[in-house]
Amino acid sequence: MEKDTNESAAWTKRENESPIPKHERRASEKDIRESIAWAKINQDVLKSMETPRKLYWVILFFAFAAFSVGVGCEVYQYQNGMGVSNKNNPHAWGLYISTFIFWIGMSHSGTLLSAILHLMHADWRKPIFRFAEALTTFSLMTAGLFVMVHLGRLWQFYYSVPYPDERGLWPNFQSPLLWDAMAIFTYLSSSILFLYIGMIPDLAICRDHLHEGWRKNLYTWLSLGWEGTDRQWRNFRVTYLTIACFLIPLAVSVHSIVAADFAMSQQPGWHVTSFPAYFVAGALYSGCSAIITLFIILRYVFKFEEYMTLPILKKTVRLTFAIAMIWTYLNAVEFASVWYSHDQASKDVLIQKVIGPFAPFWWGMIFCGSVVPLTLAFKRFQTNIPVLFVVSLLLNLGMWLERWMIVAPTFSHGYYPWTWDHDQWPGFVQWGMVFASFGWFTMLFMGFCKVFPSVSMYEVKEMVYHRKLHLKKSETAEQGAH
Amino acid sequence: MIDSGLDRRDFLKVLGWGGAAVALSGCGNTSVEDGKETVVSYVEAADYVIPGIGVYYNSTCAQCDAGCSINGRVREGRVLKLEGNPASAINRGRTCGLGQAGVQHHYNPDRVREPLLRHGDKNEVITWDKAYALIAEKLSGAKGDEVAFLSGGVSGHLKVLLGNYLDSIGSKNHFVYEALAPAVVRAANKKAYGVEMPRYNINKAKVVLSFGADFLGAWVSPVHFSQQYAQFRKGVDGQRGVLIQVESKMTLTGANADRWIPVRPGTEGILALGIINALGTASGDIAAAVKGYDRARVSKETGVPPGQIDKIAALLKLRSPSLVLAGSAAEGYAHGSQNAAAINLLNQVLGNVGKTVEASTSVPFPQMAPAKGNTVALKSLNDGLAAGKYKVLFCYAANPVFTAPGAMKFKDHLAKAGFKVAFAHYLDETALQADLVLPLDSALEDWGTQVPEYMTEGAQINIQQPLMEKLHANTRGMGDILLALVKQRRAEEYKSFDDYYAYLRGAMLLNKNALGGSGADDDTFWNETLTKGIVKLAGSAGTLSGKASAAGLTLPVPSAADVQYPLQLIPGVTASLRDGRHANQPWLQESPDPLTTIVWDSWVEIHPKKAAELHITEGDIVEVTSRSGSIRAQAYLFPGIHPDAISVPLGRGHEALGRYAKGYGANPFQILDAVFDQETGELAMHETRVKVSKTGQRVVVVKDEGAAGGKQMGRKIAVLVTTDEVDLSKEA
Amino acid sequence: MSVSNLLENWAQFRHFHPIDDKPHDPYKWAMSIDLDACTGCNACSVACYAENNLPVVGKEKYQHGHGMHWMRIERYWDEGLGVAGGSDFPDHGAQFLPMMCQQCEAAPCETVCPAAATNHTADGLNSQIYNRCVGSRYCSANCPFKVRYFNWYDYPTTDNVWPAEMNQQLNPDVTVRSKGVMEKCTFCVQRLHAAKGTAKNEGRLVHDGDVQTACQQVCPTGAITFGNLVDHESKVHKQWQSQQVELDKDAQVKDQKEGGSGLRGYRIFEELRPYPSVMYLERVRESAI
Repeated sequence: MEKDTNESAAWTKRENESPIPKHERRASEKDIRESIAWAKINQDVLKSMETPRKLYWVILFFAFAAFSVGVGCEVYQYQNGMGVSNKNNPHAWGLYISTFIFWIGMSHSGTLLSAILHLMHADWRKPIFRFAEALTTFSLMTAGLFVMVHLGRLWQFYYSVPYPDERGLWPNFQSPLLWDAMAIFTYLSSSILFLYIGMIPDLAICRDHLHEGWRKNLYTWLSLGWEGTDRQWRNFRVTYLTIACFLIPLAVSVHSIVAADFAMSQQPGWHVTSFPAYFVAGALYSGCSAIITLFIILRYVFKFEEYMTLPILKKTVRLTFAIAMIWTYLNAVEFASVWYSHDQASKDVLIQKVIGPFAPFWWGMIFCGSVVPLTLAFKRFQTNIPVLFVVSLLLNLGMWLERWMIVAPTFSHGYYPWTWDHDQWPGFVQWGMVFASFGWFTMLFMGFCKVFPSVSMYEVKEMVYHRKLHLKKSETAEQGAH
Repeated sequence: MIDSGLDRRDFLKVLGWGGAAVALSGCGNTSVEDGKETVVSYVEAADYVIPGIGVYYNSTCAQCDAGCSINGRVREGRVLKLEGNPASAINRGRTCGLGQAGVQHHYNPDRVREPLLRHGDKNEVITWDKAYALIAEKLSGAKGDEVAFLSGGVSGHLKVLLGNYLDSIGSKNHFVYEALAPAVVRAANKKAYGVEMPRYNINKAKVVLSFGADFLGAWVSPVHFSQQYAQFRKGVDGQRGVLIQVESKMTLTGANADRWIPVRPGTEGILALGIINALGTASGDIAAAVKGYDRARVSKETGVPPGQIDKIAALLKLRSPSLVLAGSAAEGYAHGSQNAAAINLLNQVLGNVGKTVEASTSVPFPQMAPAKGNTVALKSLNDGLAAGKYKVLFCYAANPVFTAPGAMKFKDHLAKAGFKVAFAHYLDETALQADLVLPLDSALEDWGTQVPEYMTEGAQINIQQPLMEKLHANTRGMGDILLALVKQRRAEEYKSFDDYYAYLRGAMLLNKNALGGSGADDDTFWNETLTKGIVKLAGSAGTLSGKASAAGLTLPVPSAADVQYPLQLIPGVTASLRDGRHANQPWLQESPDPLTTIVWDSWVEIHPKKAAELHITEGDIVEVTSRSGSIRAQAYLFPGIHPDAISVPLGRGHEALGRYAKGYGANPFQILDAVFDQETGELAMHETRVKVSKTGQRVVVVKDEGAAGGKQMGRKIAVLVTTDEVDLSKEA
Repeated sequence: MSVSNLLENWAQFRHFHPIDDKPHDPYKWAMSIDLDACTGCNACSVACYAENNLPVVGKEKYQHGHGMHWMRIERYWDEGLGVAGGSDFPDHGAQFLPMMCQQCEAAPCETVCPAAATNHTADGLNSQIYNRCVGSRYCSANCPFKVRYFNWYDYPTTDNVWPAEMNQQLNPDVTVRSKGVMEKCTFCVQRLHAAKGTAKNEGRLVHDGDVQTACQQVCPTGAITFGNLVDHESKVHKQWQSQQVELDKDAQVKDQKEGGSGLRGYRIFEELRPYPSVMYLERVRESAI
């Protein structure tokens, strides 16, 4: 408790030392300071890409170590069979699938910020969408690993994708799992494209600031000869907008399809019509809370206080709160529809979630997912960074539990009472894999931050410019009124 | 071919190994014996091997003594699966799970492969010549009555040869010991019906009242009775047969009963007399004998509600004929003979004798009839051993070190025998105590004849013949060994028989006419016999000679509660493990017990109410202590047991017998008290009193049943209806 | 990789509702199990191990739910047992139920497999193609009866379930499955193939009784009947008919008739509409005792 206060004090101290001039401190209402020089923007962002400090390597090492645990687990599992993960009949799935949904869900944040808010002209997204977009890409890559790890015959994974085959064999187009594979692949490739295209003007800046070395070559190659000509900007805008439009239905469909894995099945607790909406809401929810976490970390590490401002954080938090309430509502809808269905099997699954052996986790999910976000409704917490940090982690814990609570109880308590099994607890291989996925994600993300600008320089400039313009306009208007 | 870089040798290797995958086994051309697998092409295959085509041979199942005829599927020289032989009147093409596992007896990796001379815990591999010479040497130093032969229930020509051998030694000490044989019931039947094992017509009965006879599980001839049971359930004219089972621990048969009646352990006879009383049809001395058994007293002593007794009596009166069976649960007490007599009396009172209880037939060769015996024989052997009477002891098809009640201290006494020879398939507990272990052919590689104790529709002699070549070069058939041994003494008489096959063939041909082969030439007769696997004989129908009498019938009043050992131990006999000789067959270990669904381990069945009293929950490791010892096993809460009793299944808890048996479970034989039936002197298996205490350890019970237990949770999965709701007569 | 292949071959025999598309001709394998005859003796289960090369997984793995019994015997107690107001003892014995793949006509497992490794055959079997299986276990997840068994380990090799000599018992007509594939009861498809081959050689159809499944053949009480439902002479057809159970209905006469129909044929989870090919006959208990 005391430590918290200390930390909180430290934060306050840092806020006081922030580069924002005192007279603009009221700024709290402003998303960004209009007076930031464009050169400073470049400078600040490029600085974040400089040779990392020692701590970076230490964290990277630990991330790699965590990832290695997963590699070890996978080698062990590959050698000996899926049984080592302590799955069984009826627990055919386990943490792999629930963590897969978790990461897929997390990927929705980027699309929400970069595409949806882009189309809605919510320009406060501009300083934070880049890392969110990276979050999307990397969490998808993490999720993809779980699909692979989950397969009993990983070496034959290509059987479930349509590929040219001299025997004319096709996968089963009725299977939601196949839709899944295709949707995720499409989403991943589109996300990478979106991330990359959106980065071209920034990559050109990076290129222009360097004189030699591999980075120069890399950026030269990646920036595709960007010179900032009028024609390039026009083409860029159109392309970006097009992909954004393309990505939104894709994002919604991806998680709807993940939901379909369950909703299209016939199992009690899964066969629920509201699942697609529920899953999409859950996805946005966990994505937003992940953004808050990363927002806080990046802001602190890269000293991005100028760009990742508290008002932007506040907006993100409010968005998160809204989604949390939608999620809570959809959760209630699910319970209600199960309850009124008069389907005993589905009811049984629900009952055993609430009071059965899964109760601690289920109530944990309710607490983290529906009770904890209530703090976000209070204004004073909306910019309280230590609180937000803890809350955002709790929200994601809640969302992870939610996925587990969707997958596991139906297996342990399905239609057939003879095979009910309440003692199933995932084995260390499964936990190791879950643990490793965070290491893998951290590795990717940390690598990204040092190679690519994690704040979009040109969009921040744009934002500053717009604000300036707006300011000028209002000033003019004011003057005119005089 | 050469252009593609695949040279001829590689090509042949590929083809050869491709074939080897199927040809690898012992059809004579491959040398599995010395551990090498030679690649042999089909060009050299034996005549009877047609690649890809299964051939079928008839033989006899040796997994128990019921004598089911089997039909083995053989492909590429390997026996793959055993089916029932439809021509047999006993099993009519069916087998049980135990029978199915017969191939795992044959292919068991833990079989003894060489004659072993044992020095303490060490084995020395010796040759057969040396082994025979050793036996001859030891026998020469012993007088006839210093030699003993312990065997299981042997029959057929093997029994004859064994008799001849013992005769040649001058020994009369043939001890026949089958741990689970219904010895008391046999004696009671002999008294009541004049035969030890009459023919029961379950299929003709409208009501079967069984006092602990697990005829669907492990009693006498379960596959045969199961078929009768199926007919009994279909019933005559749509009148479905009713099964009432009276026992203290639910058996498989009890689980199939229309009414299962948990009776206080040991009071089965009292209930039988109570039913006779309630029937009110008895007269003479019977009426006098049952007079005291009014429903109030019977109900008090047995724990069966008075209404239930009346209901049973009413049903028995209404539906005739019925059949009353006395099974192992009734005979397992110090007053077991009296129990069985009372139950048989009920059959007589109901007039079932001659209708559903008929005279059995026997083969016209009494010397081939199965040798029977139980603990009386073992006890006498044990006493002899304790007195140091025997210089040479042979042991075949019995594992007394495992199955003898702990109180008999058989293992200690066995050590006093001078020279112990075990004929064994595996190094079981008894073989480990032997000085010389002689490896036997499996039942699927050996020749033999078998005469079942329980026969229907005439008599039959079952043929046992090899279904494939020997798996191991140095194992021998029991017949061959006995022949070699008997030749040591009487070389002249047996010189014309090269091997047991020749002996068997000769013996069968000698009686060709009596065996229904009159007119046929020798080869035709012999080949037909082998093809059929059964020699069916008219058999001599015996007559039932007993008469209904209650003379000498006295049933003890149930004893007061024993404070120190408050519970009755009921050793459970399961259909697949029985006395434990097949515990090394992994299919049986992993086949869930039908009632508890537990696999690979022993358990202590305890009624939930009793368990609550003792604060025992499922998975507690409990210690079961009797006056003779204690064992530990996991507790399983089981509603089908009398609260004053617990049950531990027999068959597990081996300290030897190979990788699939050793170390799994506990052996309740070890803690059985030496209490014997007062009349016959057989072991009273259910008479051991125990106490149960928690050890504090807990395990997860490994079973098939899920967390819902045996509940269907409102789902319509296994549906039960009562007879008034269905019309069976319309069914196809 | 032609689209025509996709349109013609893909899930050719899959049913969404059995009457919509091709009626089975000339074969539709089906079963009926008389629960009144079944004694729960487990012989069928052991026979299945013998016939179909099922691995014995051992105690520890069995504890972890890795048992591979394609045919399992379930033992149920009366619902009233041990509860307040009910009896403390199973007065009517236990209820046994042999449960194996129900070979559903509209099988929930078939539609979800991403690799199309489980399919419907022309003679109405729910087939499993081991070679094609990627091990997603989605079929098992969607099976209401939970009768699909996954190869959690490599039983033939690393687990050495069949050590030397034991391996010689393996049935060469049946694949020994390796790790990572799903398996289940096949209705002894190898026997069906052999019987169909023989019949074809003789220029006829398979007669009733030509082929038995391993469980049917061993069953001491003859509780299991198996055969061709299309063949009106077959025993299984007659049984289905006399119980008025129809393959393509999701509610049978028995359930609809007011005041009882006297019939006892039913299929498990009829209301989920998998249209199982296995009919059970209810266990009967005497009402007079």
